[in-house]
Amino acid sequence: MQGAGVRFDFDHLSRVLTPALRRIRRFRASSWGLRHVSLHIEPGAGLALVGPTGSGKTTLLRLIAGVIPPDEGRVAVRGRVGSLLATDAGLGPLLTGRENAELLGVLAGLSLRETRAALDQVAERSRLGEAFDRPVLTYSVGMRARLGFAVIQAISPRLLLLDEVFEALDHEFRAIVEEFALELRERGGIVVAAGHDHAAMSRMCPQALLLDRGHARAHGPFAEVIGTYRGPEAAGAMAEPATAG
Amino acid sequence: MRYGRGALRAVKVLLDPFAALGVYLLLIAFVLDQSESAAGLSITCAIIPFQLIMATMANALKSIEVRGSIILNMSFPRMLIPVSSVVTESVAFSGSLVLIPAMMIAYGVAPTPALLWLPVALAVTIVFAVALCYPSALVGVWYPDLQPFAISMVRALFFIAPGIVALDQISGTARDLLPFNPLTGLFESFRAAVLYGHSPAAWELLAPLAFAGLLAALTLPLYRREQPYLAKLVG
Repeated sequence: MQGAGVRFDFDHLSRVLTPALRRIRRFRASSWGLRHVSLHIEPGAGLALVGPTGSGKTTLLRLIAGVIPPDEGRVAVRGRVGSLLATDAGLGPLLTGRENAELLGVLAGLSLRETRAALDQVAERSRLGEAFDRPVLTYSVGMRARLGFAVIQAISPRLLLLDEVFEALDHEFRAIVEEFALELRERGGIVVAAGHDHAAMSRMCPQALLLDRGHARAHGPFAEVIGTYRGPEAAGAMAEPATAG
Repeated sequence: MRYGRGALRAVKVLLDPFAALGVYLLLIAFVLDQSESAAGLSITCAIIPFQLIMATMANALKSIEVRGSIILNMSFPRMLIPVSSVVTESVAFSGSLVLIPAMMIAYGVAPTPALLWLPVALAVTIVFAVALCYPSALVGVWYPDLQPFAISMVRALFFIAPGIVALDQISGTARDLLPFNPLTGLFESFRAAVLYGHSPAAWELLAPLAFAGLLAALTLPLYRREQPYLAKLVG
């Protein structure tokens, strides 16, 4: 990622404008969700995104996931991406867990056969039991996050993106997520996680990037970046992050 | 989920077009006192393609909003989103085709070799629906407040087309102007194949195709340019 930026344009009614809409509606203001962010993440690395609410963490994750294009700069991502950018993880509420898993697997790049072959594995890993065949709208937030994560495990991503998912998970499943993230890094994959549970993130990600109002303010070892963000006491309280082999 | 779940799902698929047809049949039989023979079959020839077009448009208007969660979570070809509306509504469309033989039997209309043109008319209808789904998806996400208006506009097109009354029952200026409505050709091509027993006139197939082609030429590139930014609109 080189000099990447994401800009949000608004019209006089504060509605978001796309390039096409800018030709139709009256442009009023712009706001940079992300600006001048340059990043190179090596295989096997784990990067935590920290910063206050509205600092651009989610925008950066969406940029990496390919959900939104950069308005300036360049972003290049290699390998399959597994993203959990919200607790509902792209789930359709009227579809069952099984149907959602099938849809997400295919959209993530698996063939229909591969996806269907993996459904039992998804059911087992999500620990949803009979709920796997019930509509997702009957699920709790934690159940949705578990289903979303189980689908990610099934697609074997090379790049794992997590956005404030931990808050929705129970301790047992948090441990599963951390274990998967560490295994992924050991295989040469990359983990990028955003959130406010710094203790959990420090265990998955030895490096951190501090964002503030869309700009990168600090980048380095997790404890150092947290020290910049929250002060020396917080840095000292962080456990030493695990490193990949 | 368009059709629900359970054993009654198939019943719903089959009853939908009958319900739509029934309203207009009542109108023709008891209110307008139409003397046109096989009025029900004539209306069927309009209802069937119109149901697909109307339902596709209604589905496409909401298609991006409904998939907002998945759009915000992962990258995938967004060109698929509007087309999925056509695929979804094609199920009901297929179910509605049972109306044709049902009405032919009810009115004692014998099949003719012209019936071989029916698949062509069906194909033109599907092409028309596909061409309509992309601008519908854009309108639905750009101007969500206008969704009911857009649906009303298309519904109005049905009534300024020979939907309830066949074109050969209409005279005067209206008869000359109605072919400019792309739905006119669609409805008349179905009638030609099913009711009149002759091949559709060239304009009846080419006019809706030309309209669909023009619509696609204008809106497909626009949607393609917009699709990377859909997450900004729904996020």
